[in-house]
Amino acid sequence: MTVEYVDAGEAIDQGQLSGKLPGNELAPPVVESVNYERILNARSEPENWLTYYGTYDGQRYSPLDQINTENVKRLLPAWVFQAGSSGIIAGASTYSFEAAPIVVDGVMFVAGWDGWVWALDAKTGTEIWRYKHAVPFDVSLCCGNVNRGVAVAQNNVFFVTANAHVLALDATTGKRVWDKTYGDVRAGESATVAPLVVKNLVIVGSSGGEFGVRGHLDAFDIDSGEHQWRCYTVPKPGEPGSETWPSDGEAWARGGANCWLTGTFDAETNLLYVGTGNPAPDFDGGVREGDNLYTDSIIAVDVDSGQIRWHYQCTPHDVWDYDSIAECILFEKDGRKLLGHFDKNGYFFVLDRTDGSLVRITPFVDRITWGAITRDGKVTAKVYPDEEGVPVHFYPGPAGAKEWTHAAYSPKTELFYVPVQDVGATATRRRREFKESIPYWGAGVQVDIEDMVGSISAFDAEGEEKWRWRNELPMCASVLATGGDLVFAGEPSGEFNALDARTGELLWQFQCGSGHHSSPTTYSVDGRQFVAVPVGWGGWAEGFLPGMLGAGHGSALIVFALPEA
Amino acid sequence: MTTAQERADLVDKLGLNGQNKATIGRMLGTGNIGQATEKEDGRMAATIRIRPDELSWDPAILVLPHGGDVDLELINDDLNTHCALLPSNGDRKFIWLVNHSRGRATLNLDGPGYYWFSSPTGNDEGRGLTGAIVVLGDVPPEARLDRPDQPRP
Repeated sequence: MTVEYVDAGEAIDQGQLSGKLPGNELAPPVVESVNYERILNARSEPENWLTYYGTYDGQRYSPLDQINTENVKRLLPAWVFQAGSSGIIAGASTYSFEAAPIVVDGVMFVAGWDGWVWALDAKTGTEIWRYKHAVPFDVSLCCGNVNRGVAVAQNNVFFVTANAHVLALDATTGKRVWDKTYGDVRAGESATVAPLVVKNLVIVGSSGGEFGVRGHLDAFDIDSGEHQWRCYTVPKPGEPGSETWPSDGEAWARGGANCWLTGTFDAETNLLYVGTGNPAPDFDGGVREGDNLYTDSIIAVDVDSGQIRWHYQCTPHDVWDYDSIAECILFEKDGRKLLGHFDKNGYFFVLDRTDGSLVRITPFVDRITWGAITRDGKVTAKVYPDEEGVPVHFYPGPAGAKEWTHAAYSPKTELFYVPVQDVGATATRRRREFKESIPYWGAGVQVDIEDMVGSISAFDAEGEEKWRWRNELPMCASVLATGGDLVFAGEPSGEFNALDARTGELLWQFQCGSGHHSSPTTYSVDGRQFVAVPVGWGGWAEGFLPGMLGAGHGSALIVFALPEA
Repeated sequence: MTTAQERADLVDKLGLNGQNKATIGRMLGTGNIGQATEKEDGRMAATIRIRPDELSWDPAILVLPHGGDVDLELINDDLNTHCALLPSNGDRKFIWLVNHSRGRATLNLDGPGYYWFSSPTGNDEGRGLTGAIVVLGDVPPEARLDRPDQPRP
C-alpha cells in the first residue's frame, strides 16, 4: 500500500522566522533623497554617516560634540546587534565584521560577512530587513570572509560579495534591484570593498592580489547597473607604465595592484584618490623586475572616464607585501590642496592632490628595517627576501605599520590620528610557478608573535608627532575623530577607548568582549548622539596579529550613547 | 604507514559511508552524486531525498550545469523529522520535513562554485545531512580579466 506523502509546502526565506511582526520588515524611504549633492555636502548633516568615510575627503571626522571630553566617562551601551554565524560558510574560522556602519535619518545599513547586509533601527538596534547573498564555500579568500560595508543613494543600498558581484538592493525592502559580476572567481578574484557613490556611478575595486590577478576599478550606473568603465591598475604591454614590467613574459598579467579599499574624492579636481595593492608574487621580485606600476601606488582617477591622471608609487618593486591601499585623506594647508596617506611601509606621505607632487615624507613607526625613503622620496631597499630558501626578517611585517584600518583627521585640531602596528615578520623566498586560482606569494611567511607594540599616534601635517597613546599590542582597528575632541579606537583585546584628541589621554574604556578590526562611526537620532562599533576578531589575523589567533571570535555591533536624561 | 586502495572500496570496507559503522555518523562527502536536469529556458530541476536511517542527502552532491534558478523537490523517506536549510540569493531557504513528507524549494545561485546545504536540527549536519550544490560554468565574459589565458592547476 502506498502512503501519500505529507505536503511540506514550499521552502520559505529563513528571515521570516526571525520574530518580526508583519509590516516591520520595511524601512522608511530615507535613502530615496540621498543623492550626489547630499553626499558631497555630508559634513552639513552630521546626524548621518552617508558614505564610507563619513565624507568624500576620507577624514573619518564628525562634528558631533554631544559626547565630549567632559562627559565621555558616562558613555554606556545603548544597544547591541548580534547575528553570529550558522551553517558552513567560506573561511569559517575567519569571518568577522570589517564594516563602517552607514546611517541615514535613523536607519543603519551595515554589511557583515558571507554576503549579509542588514537594515537596523539606528535608535534601538531592531532588525528591519536582511539580505543574504549565497557565497560559494570554495571562493578564494586571501584574508578572511569579510566585507567593509555598503554605499547608499537613490533608494539603493550597494555592496559587493565575496564572489565578486556588485549588487543594488532596495533600501526599503532589502530586495535585489540589480546584480552584476565584475570579477572572475576562477582566476582568484573576489571582492571586499565598500562601494563609493559619486555622481551617477557606484565605484568598486577588486580583491585577489595574493592570487596573481590584474587589479581593476569598475564603475556602474547606480540606477541600471550598466557598466560604465573599467580601469586596470597594471598596464598592458605598450601602455604607459608597461616599461616598469619585464618586456618578455606575462608578469604584468598577474601583477596584482588590486584596489580593495574605498577611495576618496575631490569634486573640484574631479579625481578619485585610490590606493593600489601589492604586486604578485608578493615576495618574489625576481620574476617581475622593474618598479611594477601601478602597484603600491596612489592613483588619481578621473571619475567620469576612469583614466589614471597621475600616480605616486610609495614602494617601487615591493617585495614585502606593502599594499598602498590605505586611505588618502584630503585636507587643505596654507591654501594647498593636499592628500595624507599612511602607508604599510611605515611612512606618512603628503602629496599635492592636484598633480601628485611630493610635499613631505616622514616615518610614523619606530621600527623600519626593510629600507629607507629620503625626504625627497628616494627609496632604498635594504632587507628583503632575495636568495631562495634564506629567511629574512624585516619591519614592518606584511600587515604594515598601519593595516587597511583607517586613520582619522580632525580639521578642528588639525591632527591625524593613526592606528600603529609595530610588528615584524620573516619571509623566505620560495619560487613557484603561477597557476590560476592558487595563492601566488613566492615565499613562506611568518609574522612575529612576540616583541610587538602598538599605538594611536597623533601627527600634524608636517609629520611631527604630537602625542602617542601606547599599547602593548598593535592597534588594528580604524580610528574615529569627533567634534567633542575625542578619538575613538578599539584594541585587539576588546577594549573600546576614547582618547582626548589634544593630549592622547585615555578618558573612557569599555570591554566589548572581542577584538576590534572594523571602522566605528557616529550619528544622532532625535538629538541623541550614538557611536557605533562593529566588534569581532577574525579576518586576516594570521597576518596582522598572529599572536592573538586563539582569541575569542565574537561578532557584535555595539552602539554607545550617554544616558538619557 | 598508510595503504592506498580504490576510494570507494575503502570507504565501504571501513564503513565510513553509513550510520554507526566506523564512525558514529556518516562521513561527510561520502554520499551519492546527482545532476540537475535543465529545461529549454535554462531553468533547472532536481529531486533530493533522505532515505530511511541513512541520514544522508541523496544525492549529497547535486551538480548544476550553470548558475541560475533551480526547482528542488525534497523528499523525506526517513522515519524521523528533519529539515533543510538551503543557499539562495536573497535569503537562505528553510523547510521543515516531517516523517514521510515532500516539499519544494526554489533557489537562485551564482556560478561557478559550490554551496553547502544541511538539516540544521540536532546534529543532523554532523551525522551526514550536509550536502553540496556544485555550480559549473564560468563567470560572464565581461567579468573576466583582459589578459592571455593563464595556466591552471
